[in-house]
Amino acid sequence: MTRRYLHARYRCAEDAQAAIEALSSAGVPTSALELYSRRPVEVDPPLLPRRSRMSLVAVIAAIASGSTCTALVFLVQLSYPLVTGGMPITSGWATGVVTFETTMAGAVLGILVMFLWEAGLIRPRGRGPVPSLPEEGVLLQIDCRQDYALASKVVTDSSAQEIESIEC
Amino acid sequence: MTGNATHGMSAEGDQQGPGAPSVRDDILGRMPRASGRYLAAVIFCAAIVAWALFAWAVQIVDGFGHTGLRRPVYWGFYIVNFVFWIGISHAGTLISAILRLTGAAWRKPVTRAAEAITVFCLMIGGLFPLIHIGRVWYFYWMIPYPNERLLWPNFRSPLFWDLTAILTYLSGSVIYLYLPLIPDLAEIADRSTGLKRRIYKALSLGWTGSDRQWQALERAMKLMAMVILAIAVSVHSVVAYDFSMSVAPTWHSTIFAPYFVVGAIFSGIAALIVVMAALRRLMGLQQHLRDEHFANLGKLLVLMSLLWLYFTFSEHLTAWYGNLPYEMQVFNIREQGLFGILFWTMVVCNFVVPFVLVGISKLRSIATITVSGVAILIGMWLERFLIIVPPLSTPALPAAWGDYAPSWIEVSITAGTFAAMALLYLLFVKVFPIIAIWEYDEKIPAR
Repeated sequence: MTRRYLHARYRCAEDAQAAIEALSSAGVPTSALELYSRRPVEVDPPLLPRRSRMSLVAVIAAIASGSTCTALVFLVQLSYPLVTGGMPITSGWATGVVTFETTMAGAVLGILVMFLWEAGLIRPRGRGPVPSLPEEGVLLQIDCRQDYALASKVVTDSSAQEIESIEC
Repeated sequence: MTGNATHGMSAEGDQQGPGAPSVRDDILGRMPRASGRYLAAVIFCAAIVAWALFAWAVQIVDGFGHTGLRRPVYWGFYIVNFVFWIGISHAGTLISAILRLTGAAWRKPVTRAAEAITVFCLMIGGLFPLIHIGRVWYFYWMIPYPNERLLWPNFRSPLFWDLTAILTYLSGSVIYLYLPLIPDLAEIADRSTGLKRRIYKALSLGWTGSDRQWQALERAMKLMAMVILAIAVSVHSVVAYDFSMSVAPTWHSTIFAPYFVVGAIFSGIAALIVVMAALRRLMGLQQHLRDEHFANLGKLLVLMSLLWLYFTFSEHLTAWYGNLPYEMQVFNIREQGLFGILFWTMVVCNFVVPFVLVGISKLRSIATITVSGVAILIGMWLERFLIIVPPLSTPALPAAWGDYAPSWIEVSITAGTFAAMALLYLLFVKVFPIIAIWEYDEKIPAR
């Protein structure tokens, strides 16, 4: 099935923001929009805020890694054939460093995986063609699977410097 | 796919638009070409590294008797170098992570140089425990794995803590260096052709410059900065525990961990200044690494120098006031004779030189700040030596006292690590931009 996309180039973030607001008012969902640029855009909050679970996953990965490794340390000590009456060979203090470091290692791994996932670097993209990045300004990509004519009209009425229609 | 859509960044980047910023072009244009001078430098460093590897091979084949390590001094140059290089690795975390979290804008041209120092220093520093164990092929005994020979790592040993801490720090630092490299790698791929383009494109993991990617990158860098800071402090604390967990005279100290962390940050900033000065001169980065960057780092250097002096004074005052015989033996030997010369050289290098050259504003310049950086590197290496060797050479029983003199093998391997650092840096700046272009370049303006 053929899908149609619009690529509109804007000089600055404010122009792109106006177009995004107009498209949203016209009923184009934010998930159908993608913004491309060579450099980060100096707008806070971002023009298209994306939900992120990076912090949450980092914390969960940290806890999982730290507790798993700590459990392994204690299991190894208990399974060592030395008669201790069921007591671990070393105290919790001695495994504190191992627990801390493996907790941090889990956090690092969680952040890396979530970065790759949220940036779309390790999953099938499916967000249409990747445009040629403009040297200056930003490029707005609109997935027009719902109403091409409406999206096209909104973009044409905006302050886009260049508009391109793509089918794929 | 139809239309003119392409994957990744387009080759249009080759054509400089009339209003395009010059920062990207300038920085990418300054990546060194394989000129005669560059190759000569690479070959020179590689030759020293090869000599060090030969020395290590001799030690492996003939045994540890080739070193100057004798009873009672079992820790010598190798452990000094280990602590020294791990200390310097703190450059990346301090400059990049702290300044990123505090939003200091002046950090931008400096961060990548610092992050690269961290990774290379950890790689070099992490080698020394392997060199020091002698039978390097038994290294895997340190790794906890199921086995039937009842070999298991001693979780109480600070040396095992070192292993976990350094591995965590190294993997975290590599990721912390790599993540902000991705957009720049895509930029280079965009401007390249053929095999070079394919390699950079693969390294950039298909970066397209979408808003999702920029947001994910900025979020990841903030989180990584927080995590890496905690790891960095823990790593040098663990290195300090190698000493303070033992009952050797002057080592069993409660302030050793913060003392080591302060010293690590101090030497890390000094190393960064020296590297920046070299890059500035050799790559012509005067426009980007400016006076203000050196001045700001110089001020941090003076602050850390004062902190270092405070910790050193506290350590020595406590030992002197306690007047325990076995501690006073070390105290006296450290401040007299050959060790005394090294001790006072250390004080001059770590305090007097930076305080005068950087602390006095009239004397402060890029040259004097760099001289201070070099002096501090020398001073901090001496500090590590004086922390390790004198207490070991004068244990509690005078009958057990001994001397330590490094052999040519230890000296060669030490020299080889400095050459390895230079070599790694030479190769890095050849392949990757030393300034994070996407961070340093102006953002796309709101209006």
